[in-house]
Parts: sequence; C-alpha cells; structure tokens
Amino acid sequence: MTVAPPPPGPPVPPMPGPQAADRTAAAGESGDETVVVSRVSKWFGDVVAVSDVSFAVWPGVTALLGPNGAGKSTMLRMLAGLAPTSQGEVSVLGSNPRADRTVRGRIGLVPQQESLFPEQRAIEFVTLAAQLNGVANARQAAIDALGIVELDPDDKRPTAMYSKGMKQRVKVAQALVHEPDLLLMDEPLTGLDPRQRLHMIELIRNLGADGVSVIVSSHVLDEVERLASRVLVIAQGRLAAQGDFHEIRALMDDRPHRIRVRTNDPRTLGAALLTSAGVTGVTVEADGVVLVDTEDVDLFRRNLAPVAKSFELQLLEVRPLDDDLESVFKYLVGR
Amino acid sequence: MAAFLGMTKRMVRSIATPGRLIAMSTVGIIGIIIGVVVDRSDPGPEFAVDFLSRFGLIIYVPLVVLVISTATLGTLVEEKTLVYFWMRPIGRWQITAAALLAGLVVLVPLILVPLGVLAAVVGDGNDVSGIIVSSLVGIAGYTSLFTLLGLVTQRALAWGLGYILVWEGFVAGLSRSAGWLALRTYTTSALSRIADSAGPIANPASGFTIAVVTVGVFVCGALLTTWRLNTADVA
Repeated sequence: MTVAPPPPGPPVPPMPGPQAADRTAAAGESGDETVVVSRVSKWFGDVVAVSDVSFAVWPGVTALLGPNGAGKSTMLRMLAGLAPTSQGEVSVLGSNPRADRTVRGRIGLVPQQESLFPEQRAIEFVTLAAQLNGVANARQAAIDALGIVELDPDDKRPTAMYSKGMKQRVKVAQALVHEPDLLLMDEPLTGLDPRQRLHMIELIRNLGADGVSVIVSSHVLDEVERLASRVLVIAQGRLAAQGDFHEIRALMDDRPHRIRVRTNDPRTLGAALLTSAGVTGVTVEADGVVLVDTEDVDLFRRNLAPVAKSFELQLLEVRPLDDDLESVFKYLVGR
Repeated sequence: MAAFLGMTKRMVRSIATPGRLIAMSTVGIIGIIIGVVVDRSDPGPEFAVDFLSRFGLIIYVPLVVLVISTATLGTLVEEKTLVYFWMRPIGRWQITAAALLAGLVVLVPLILVPLGVLAAVVGDGNDVSGIIVSSLVGIAGYTSLFTLLGLVTQRALAWGLGYILVWEGFVAGLSRSAGWLALRTYTTSALSRIADSAGPIANPASGFTIAVVTVGVFVCGALLTTWRLNTADVA
C-alpha cells in the first residue's frame, strides 16, 4: 500500500515522469491500466475540488472512498470526460475521454443525480442509450440490461413513477447496455433496499471478476468493504491513501484514538491509566471526565476494566470521540 | 439514423409540454381574434401586412421560439440529463442538429398554423405566402440563437426577452445600422417584399440579403452551440 503525501497548499505544476507509473510499481501491479490519472487538479474559481491526484486503475473493482464533498464525483466526471482537468492528465483506455469519442463508447457512467427523462419508460430510455452507443440489436440489449438489474422491460409506467431505487437501477442498466470496458458508478447503492443492495454488490463484483474495470464511489466504509478489494481514499480533494481494503482498514484502526471515560474519581483513574500500556496521554476534565489518547484501542479496552476494578472505581461512560469517518479521513490527509 | 431520430424525439417530448403548447397557442388565437375584430372595422389597405408584421413577426414568432428553443437543451442542462447524450460516442454536432430539428418540428406548426390562418382571414394570397416565408426566416434565425442561449445560461428566458424587447424593440429602431443587427428587420422585409406592401419597414432588405443573413445566423448559432457542447463542463 502507498500513502500519498499531502501536497503543500494549492495545486503544483506537473513534474517530469509519470507518477502513476511509479505507483503502479509500488503497488506491485504491472501494465494493462484502464485508467491512468497523472497529477490531476481541478478547481472552480478559488475552490480546489481535486488537488494533484495520481493513480492507476486495472480491471476489477476499485472503490473511491471519501466523505461527501471530498472530490469523488468531480474525479469521476473527469474520468468520464464530462469535465476537463484544470491541470494534469487523464488517460482512459489509452486516450483522452473528453476528446476521443470512441473511448466514450467504451465507458459506462452511472451519474449521481437521480434525474431521468420522466415521461419515458425504462425500456425506451435504455434502448435509446443502446442506439446512441451503436449497439446492433438495441432493443434486445436493453431488455437484457434491464433483466440484469431485475427490472421488467414490459413495465408500461414512465420512470417518473419509479421509486428512487428503481431509477437507480435504470441508470445502471443504461450504463451496462453497451457492455463497457470501464464502468464509473457514483454512489450506486443510494436508494436501494437491502435486497437490491446485495444484488447490486454481487453484480458489481461479477463485472469486476469478468474483467471490467469498475470504479465505484462511496462514502460508506462498510459498503466499500463488500464491493472492492482495492481502495482509493480521497479526502479534501487529495488522494489520502490507496491500496488493499484490509491495509486501509488497518491504517484507519492504527491511528491515534481519543476516548472519553466518565468515572466517579477521574484523577485516580487518570493517574492509573498513565502507566497503562498503549495509553499515550490523559486529560482530566470537569464532571468526572477523563480523555484518554491511545494508539491501540483494543489493548486500552482490555486494560480499562482491570484498572478500574483494582482502584474500586465506577465506570459511568466509555465513548470513542473520533470514530466517525470524517475524523479518519482528516487523519489520513494530515499524516 | 435511428439513434439521431431517437434523440430528436426525446427532445421534442421534453419541449412540447401541454403547458407550453396551450400557452403559445392561446397567444396565437388571441392574435387571430384581434385581427378579425379590427379587420371588420375597415382599417385600410395596409392593415393586413402591418398587423401580420407587428403581431406575427415582431411579437409572436420571437416569443414562441424563445419559449420553445431555450428549453431544448436548457431543460437537459437544468435537469442534468444532458449527460445521457453527451457520454455517447457521437459527434457533438449531432446533439446540436437534434436540438435544432426538435425545435423546428415543434415550432413550424405552432407558428405557421395560426399566422397562416390570420393572414388568410385579414389578407390575401400574397399575405399568406409572405407570412409563411417570413415566419420561416424568423423560426430559423431565432431557433438557432435561442437554442444556444438555453445551453449557455439558465436565465435564457430573461436574456431572450431582453434581446427581443430592448435590442429588437428599442435599440434597433434608433438607427438604420442598428436595425441591420436585428432579425426582425429581415422577417418584416421578407413579408413586405412578398406581400408587396411596405408594412412597418421603410427600406426592406433584398431577398438575397435576407437569405444570406438567415443562413448565416442559423449556421453561426449551430456552430457556437456545438463549440459550447465541446467545451462545457457537463454536470
């Protein structure tokens, strides 16, 4: 696994040499990249949405993980060619997706927005997508694609009457109808019920196993765990980390943690914990609260109860303060 | 070809909403009623061309084209559905062509039917021919301009009304040279020449000039729309 160092301030000019290629070597993978992103930045006026990001993607499922507003959708839009880069280069299947129309025909995009053509039926919408992609038997391809996402091709209702989950599946069908080599999916599990969610996860994994490069954006860690083995973590527009899911998970777990403990005698507990293994700092606060800094939460949890028992202390509350994903991303960006 | 026609059909369905069609048709019917009522009061020999110019070419044609054409690509941008055309392996010019064709499919009957009826009621055969040709000149020019406008800004209706009211309605009337930069000069010129009646324009443009300007505006609008589609940041 490699961790991208935080670039200093605003986007910097490109440096010689394909950084993505270096990362490829570092990741232990070689050649056949579907996507190569080299020092890409994107800004809107004074707002930097993506800053100096480099990575490569191979066939299989890759997750783009990050909190809302991290720059995931902007990155996907640049990969699809919908938005130009402000700096740096994007290469998809060996070409610039914004300039090369044949490459666009090999990309499937599931955009984040819910909107479809409201008065159109699903079969009409997906058939048109197939026709525009030059699929020979467009209607049959549309029927097949709707079947894959478990929608009825004979449904007479316009998509305006569909639930959010059904619209999401129509979007997936139109992205699959021309059997793309690269599938870009922006939060594809949004709006799906648990059963549909499982089906979609299975579909995405199968596509990856079949050699399609699938890039899925998500802000939900558990979702990513079930979807992809390879993860790109984006936070504040920067590539904070990339690698195998388990390594990312370990990185997230190994970071310093702060835990709030409330007791009937905070000074005694604080003094006792200072000598406890894995504890790096203790702060005693008002109302019986002790804030404990530790790099090993499991070890701390195992030690806490014996320490409290030996000093005959009551533990009234034990609560992690920084276990949300935002804190994790902030840590990864800042390290 | 099926893909192009499918895209055009999709755009037609998105712009030809019942609300728009009813509202625009109502304006046309009101124009016919006013024309008939005034015509019965024996307003003089120039009335037909004068009314067809002032109501038909200066108000009705630009207004209807503005409402319909700004929506062709504007609705796709606003509803974030342009991506479903933009992502396909087709030339951007095909999206432009589909948008223009969709606009024309809706506008030609929506404009020619009421104005043709009006001309038949208040005028003669020359007036009918004149209003049809001059309306087609207006439809072509305004459609190209307003389709582009709908793609460029989400306030296309306001900007378009500003152009019609302020530029064409006021500034273009201040001097002859400014008048040449207004499409209404060419639409009213076409009617004036074919109907062989001056109407509201003192020095109508020649047939050649009308043709060149109409084609020029249409092509320039189409090229700029395609360029915009090529360079846009699509949501």
